[in-house]
Amino acid sequence: MRKLINNLEEAFISLLLVSMTLLVFAEVIARFVFNAGIHWAQEVTLLMAAWFVLFGASYGIKVGAHIGVDVFVKMLPRGATRFFTLLAIGLCLFYCGLFLYGSWIYLSKMHMIGIEMEDLPVPKWIPMTVLIIGFALLAVRFVQLGIKVITGQSEGFHLADEAKDSMELADELKDAVDQAADRNIDKGAKS
Amino acid sequence: MTIAVLFITLFGCMLMGMPIAIALGLSSVTTIMLFSNDSLASVSLKLFEATSEHYTLLAIPFFIISSAFLSTGGVAKRLINFAVDSIGHVRGGLAMASVMACMLFAAVSGSSPATVAAIGTIVIAGMVRSGYPQSFAAGVIANAGTLGILIPPSIVMLVYAAATEVSASRMFMAGFIPGLMMGGLLMLAIYIVARIKKLPAQPFPGFRQLARSGIVALGGLMLIIIVLGSIYGGIASPTEAAAVAAVYAYLIAVVGYRDIGPMKGVAWRNEGENLPTATLRNSAQMLLALPRSVSHPEVRKTILDAAKVSMMLLFIIANAMLFAHVLTTERIPHTIAETIIQWGLPAWGFLIVVNILLLIAGNFMEPSAILLIMAPILFPIATQLGIDPIHLGIIMVVNMEIGMLTPPVGLNLFVTAGITGQNMVWVIKACLPWLGLLLGFLILITYVPQISLFLPEYIDHLNGY
Repeated sequence: MRKLINNLEEAFISLLLVSMTLLVFAEVIARFVFNAGIHWAQEVTLLMAAWFVLFGASYGIKVGAHIGVDVFVKMLPRGATRFFTLLAIGLCLFYCGLFLYGSWIYLSKMHMIGIEMEDLPVPKWIPMTVLIIGFALLAVRFVQLGIKVITGQSEGFHLADEAKDSMELADELKDAVDQAADRNIDKGAKS
Repeated sequence: MTIAVLFITLFGCMLMGMPIAIALGLSSVTTIMLFSNDSLASVSLKLFEATSEHYTLLAIPFFIISSAFLSTGGVAKRLINFAVDSIGHVRGGLAMASVMACMLFAAVSGSSPATVAAIGTIVIAGMVRSGYPQSFAAGVIANAGTLGILIPPSIVMLVYAAATEVSASRMFMAGFIPGLMMGGLLMLAIYIVARIKKLPAQPFPGFRQLARSGIVALGGLMLIIIVLGSIYGGIASPTEAAAVAAVYAYLIAVVGYRDIGPMKGVAWRNEGENLPTATLRNSAQMLLALPRSVSHPEVRKTILDAAKVSMMLLFIIANAMLFAHVLTTERIPHTIAETIIQWGLPAWGFLIVVNILLLIAGNFMEPSAILLIMAPILFPIATQLGIDPIHLGIIMVVNMEIGMLTPPVGLNLFVTAGITGQNMVWVIKACLPWLGLLLGFLILITYVPQISLFLPEYIDHLNGY
């Protein structure tokens, strides 16, 4: 079940990103090669961008894709680190709550007025539901993280580390370099 | 009072290790609730607009996709071969070639730590084998790797453009000459050291070999030519150029170089195969590769990695726009600017303060996060003092480069330590002499605005403005 949700999340985010790219690419081709435009392309691309970011934010918390400054909390004794992490998670939940409340008010107003999008015949509140969905999911992820910190399964926010990601590339290359060196040694031994 | 609340909540939240995006958003919302009449509904709308009304911002995810496809070991090797073939025969040539490879890879990938990892892993070992001291090799690579954010197309420049609403195309034009200059300076310094220390040169491989490695490398380098050509020529906006670059990078990685995806390991021409059969087989396989890569795990992982980074950056930017909104409505930069002008601080004095501030910030935070927090504050002050926003942008980017080489959060230091297997103190010592060069370059960039402004102004002139 957890695996299924994970796969769906990843597929949805990747699909949004790829469709955005291809849509802009198609528009460029249409304009330069066929001298025609796709008039709804820009609006759709931008809406997909909004969905991508707001939906993806919670996924980012789950997999630790967000960046932050954790040098200072890590220097504190363990108890203090946990206290500040829990406090930070509490504030994050407060942040989600504020936006959920604000979006709810705005969306219900939009629903009442019923304005449509500029280029698409869709009421404006429908694409904007991602505000509610996104922040609700974000809150769920923070609650999960909070539980993990309380039970001691997790130390902190699990922030992204670009240096570590780059090291994956280095390790992959190192293996290749070592293999090449081994092959040279083999050749030397044979000759 | 407003200033105090905004910055205390921001830094308080950040020090607790909160994701920067949420720290920015929370401090802005808190300030809005306490000091202004905006409703939470309008703040939510602002956040939605920040993610859905900025077409230029979409260049960021597209460039991240293209760099994800091209930041592979295979591309790094091809660029290194080309660089070694072109300048390896000069004294100290291997080190100069490494700088050139770093510049090329940096332009393609746009990421500094990735450049150090990809180029460094191969060339540091190579340089040591040819008789260079390891600390020399490591220092050169760690420094040349920082060029990734200065040489366009650069994601950090797009972030600056987003934070200040300066034209991203002009930022890309402005970074070109400083980037080449910094690379040139590094190479010159290497040449001088190589003369004194009598470092070795490689044999010249001949023009045939050079042409061959050049053509192979061109597959990746075409990306730079397409992007910069269309942007400098005014044909396409950065967003459009980036979308084309993303599709091109996918094609070259999967179908051209075949480093990742379903065609990995498929030869262009099998042994004993004649030309027509090879052409036919390749065309069929290429056509098949497109649908097959949808389900291919490597392609999917590349896309997902790109998605994680883009989502993270765009979420920070969306929240940073709220932050910038608070700054402008509360007239915070104006207050600071007025104070500074009252002190009688001249433009050059202000730039010194900017540099020191950014160098300190660079020790603790990532470049894009610093830019998003500092640029909206510094930008209005600089304009009031008569400093060109594009020039300020380049100064900030060069500062960020130095930040990648200073502890405790110098990404390039970590990566260099990782690939050489040495400790941090050793790496810092190895980088120090080259860091001095970078600092000298920062002073040059700060006080000679023409270096940054020449190309954008020249292109404007060509277009008849």
